[in-house]
Amino acid sequence: MIRNSLVPAPLAQLPWLIILTIVGITGFGLAVLYSAAGGSLQPWALGQGLRFFAFLAGAVALSRLKEAQIKAAVVPAYVILVVALVFTELIGKVAGGGQRWLNLGIIRLQPSELMKPLIVLTLARFYDMLPAGEIRRWNAIWPALALIGVPAALILVQPDLGTATMVVAGGITVMFLAGLPLRLFIGGALSVLPIGAGAWSMMHAYQRNRVLIFLDPESDPLGKGYHISQSKIAIGSGGLFGKGFLQGTQSHLDYLPEGHTDFVFATMAEEWGLVGGVLLICAFLIVIWWGLGVAMRAETRFGKLAAAGLSTTIFFYVAVNLMMVMGLAPVVGIPLPLVSYGGSAVMTVLIILGLLMAIDRGQRGSHTSFG
Amino acid sequence: MTGLVARPDRVRLAGQRQQSLALVHFRLMVVMLLFLGVVGVIALRLLYVSIFVGGGASTPAGDGLLPARGDIVDRNGVPLATTIQAWSIGLHPRQLVNDAMEVSEKLAQLMPEHSAAQYFAMLHSNKSFIYLRRRATPELVAQVNAIGEPALALAQEPERLYPQTTLAAHVLGWTDIDGRGVFGMEKVLNNRLLDPAKRGQPVALSIDTRVQAALEEELSAAKDKFTAAAGSALVMDVHTGEVIAMVSLPTFNPNDPGATGIDSLRNNVTQSVYELGSTFKAITLANAIDSGVVTSMAKKYDATAPLQIGRFKIHDEEPAGRWLDIPEMFTKSSNIVTARIADELGQSRETAMFKKLGFGAPPEIELTAKAKPLWPTYWGRTTVMTVGFGHGIAVTPLNLAISYAALVNGGTYHPATLIKRGPDNPVPTGHRVISEATSARIRQLLRLVVLPAADGTGKKADVPGFRLGGKTGTAEKAQGGGYNKKLNVSTFAGVFPMDDPKYMIMMTLDGPHATADTYGWTTAAWVVGPAIGRTISRIGPLLGVIPDVSHDVDESDLLPLLWHPGIAKPKLTGAAAAAHDKD
Repeated sequence: MIRNSLVPAPLAQLPWLIILTIVGITGFGLAVLYSAAGGSLQPWALGQGLRFFAFLAGAVALSRLKEAQIKAAVVPAYVILVVALVFTELIGKVAGGGQRWLNLGIIRLQPSELMKPLIVLTLARFYDMLPAGEIRRWNAIWPALALIGVPAALILVQPDLGTATMVVAGGITVMFLAGLPLRLFIGGALSVLPIGAGAWSMMHAYQRNRVLIFLDPESDPLGKGYHISQSKIAIGSGGLFGKGFLQGTQSHLDYLPEGHTDFVFATMAEEWGLVGGVLLICAFLIVIWWGLGVAMRAETRFGKLAAAGLSTTIFFYVAVNLMMVMGLAPVVGIPLPLVSYGGSAVMTVLIILGLLMAIDRGQRGSHTSFG
Repeated sequence: MTGLVARPDRVRLAGQRQQSLALVHFRLMVVMLLFLGVVGVIALRLLYVSIFVGGGASTPAGDGLLPARGDIVDRNGVPLATTIQAWSIGLHPRQLVNDAMEVSEKLAQLMPEHSAAQYFAMLHSNKSFIYLRRRATPELVAQVNAIGEPALALAQEPERLYPQTTLAAHVLGWTDIDGRGVFGMEKVLNNRLLDPAKRGQPVALSIDTRVQAALEEELSAAKDKFTAAAGSALVMDVHTGEVIAMVSLPTFNPNDPGATGIDSLRNNVTQSVYELGSTFKAITLANAIDSGVVTSMAKKYDATAPLQIGRFKIHDEEPAGRWLDIPEMFTKSSNIVTARIADELGQSRETAMFKKLGFGAPPEIELTAKAKPLWPTYWGRTTVMTVGFGHGIAVTPLNLAISYAALVNGGTYHPATLIKRGPDNPVPTGHRVISEATSARIRQLLRLVVLPAADGTGKKADVPGFRLGGKTGTAEKAQGGGYNKKLNVSTFAGVFPMDDPKYMIMMTLDGPHATADTYGWTTAAWVVGPAIGRTISRIGPLLGVIPDVSHDVDESDLLPLLWHPGIAKPKLTGAAAAAHDKD
């Protein structure tokens, strides 16, 4: 925190380290998009940069909110978003085909994207309202499962497996943090095995094959594994220090599919090497660690759960994307936030950042008011 | 929640709240640990991919687009062998569901190579898998699929395709059912073609498809015209040893090598040894000039009568009945004079030269199917003499081609190669066989044989402007331990353009039969000479040899030595002319 009478207090109160880190990640991402376009601001880098600063301004505005205001907005927002998801699905049915976007005339909204932070806030709000003694009862479980299940199912039928997984993961993380009995999670994890085995035994050979390829894409080098093997070659060809800015061949020659969206990390690693990759991961780690620190410092139950859950959401983005790009996880279409081209993920991450700053400010505010 | 000591509700709730906040705190720590673990896994994976995957990434397209086996192309990049995804139709007899009778009838309709009864037997066979058709057309696959029998397996698998069919078949060879090279360059290059790091790049052979096609066509026409049993032909770069074209007849289709007989599969250029007759005279003469046995071109040798050595009698096809100097004896291809020169050379110098030219071993080339030259088992005085004009020693056509390249290129022996010369396959230093001066003399003499003005045995091969030089050779065909007096092996070995030698060309016809327009002769001058001429006029321009009648080898010191060269002689016609123009 900067303490200087020349700087207005609201500005001085912003966590500048984190904002600079975020700007740094985005700047690096813009350089990669610039290179991926063959050394051109069009079609990706310029739009991405403008969108980022617009959303950053929004995040700073969000950070002015008080925790009480956030709490009050959660339930209405959840209801509106579920309705929007239903509408998206209905319009998709009419238009004939998968639909993820809701066109509001001015902007095209992707409700499922907003659901990623909102599910965390909703569950945080739910466990905040739940009397502390109820936490080991059935009443602490079924409403949470319903709150997760409805939007997750709506997103799954879009179909968008990646987002649905992230919504479920974010929700379950909050349930875990809220203090539900550990045996529920262990039991849940163990029950996946027999259910999976049962489903496996009922499948046809071709269905099993699809599942196997989904789990291990590299077994199908001409199909889904093509992305993975190209991506690994791109990363590998970068070596320790990379080929240098604008020098990548895999991405420039279009050997790497989705080199500017989901697989942007491979494009980056080819030109910046292991060093660039490690720096980027460290930068994300700083942001996530700060978010978890906010959760640690938060004194209210809602603040703790929301801050931890929101940080987890960013972590899921980064971790799933990196594991996917390196062939450790199935290809589910999750972008690398702030680096991949596309507005939705930037919007989500900056909303999360704004909320985290708001929670953080609330805590510090309470400190200063008392001290 | 009933404690022994009753507490006010508010205190208890506050306590629970504190407790639950502590629990959240603890759980948060667990989540952080989990995150660190995941980040650690990602970091390790990144390290692994960055450092270990890099090595295999030399091909930009990656494994997904790599062919199962690398392509083979000619020196200009024309595809000679490639790998395609072809449909195969197979049968798993144990998985039969439908009525076997019905299925076998439908199969017999679609693939009539077997009868319905045979298909019925296959459907009841206890094998687990039978191939019904490989490289099937998509239409056939669709029709077989329409039978709707699960036992019929349709699959796409990599298949080796030779798009030029029989072109350069013996050079390319073929692959077995598992895609391993078993013959020709497919066998030689097998590991290189399968190497994942290299197979994205095709291998360029030294062959030029256009020259190969012309040579195949001309040799084939000559073989058909004279109903020869077999033929071989070769075009080779005399400075680099690159084989530009290599033909062996009869040939086969490498797409289906099993369809032809075993004789067609033999590469006569490297696997057959022949007594190549008078073509050896150039070697004997070069040896004699280089070793000082023949010091002057004007030196005359007695050819008045057949040479009687013990019970052997060496005679000329066309007795001169006088003494002959070197240009005369070479253009007339005198056995008697060559025998006298070989006699002066002696066995040790003769065999030493043969060894330097590589006749002691199979020809030096990448191919694995090669025959070793056959040497006489007994060396008497007559052996030395007859071997001097190519009788009693059998070498492969490629052996002779390599030796001719060395004789004319300035005297340096280079092994032959079927792989394009370049940074990966540089021209080896080679070793000196004869001196530059001797080589220049041999070029003069070889040109003289073909030069029309000199009226030599090779004049039928001459094409104006291409400055061809060469030597004919006709030997009786070795058969069953003796010689077949009726059948010849007729060879022409030449080089063009002789004033600046670039390409060696040779053709051999094994067992040609005479036709009316050769007046009964099957000697090289008649059966191979004209084919060589036609071939050169086709391939010369392709190889960048521009016909030029204003340049030629300087023969000014040799022409005066010829007996009335080019001036009025009784004009021979018909059969008499044919008898005159023998080997």
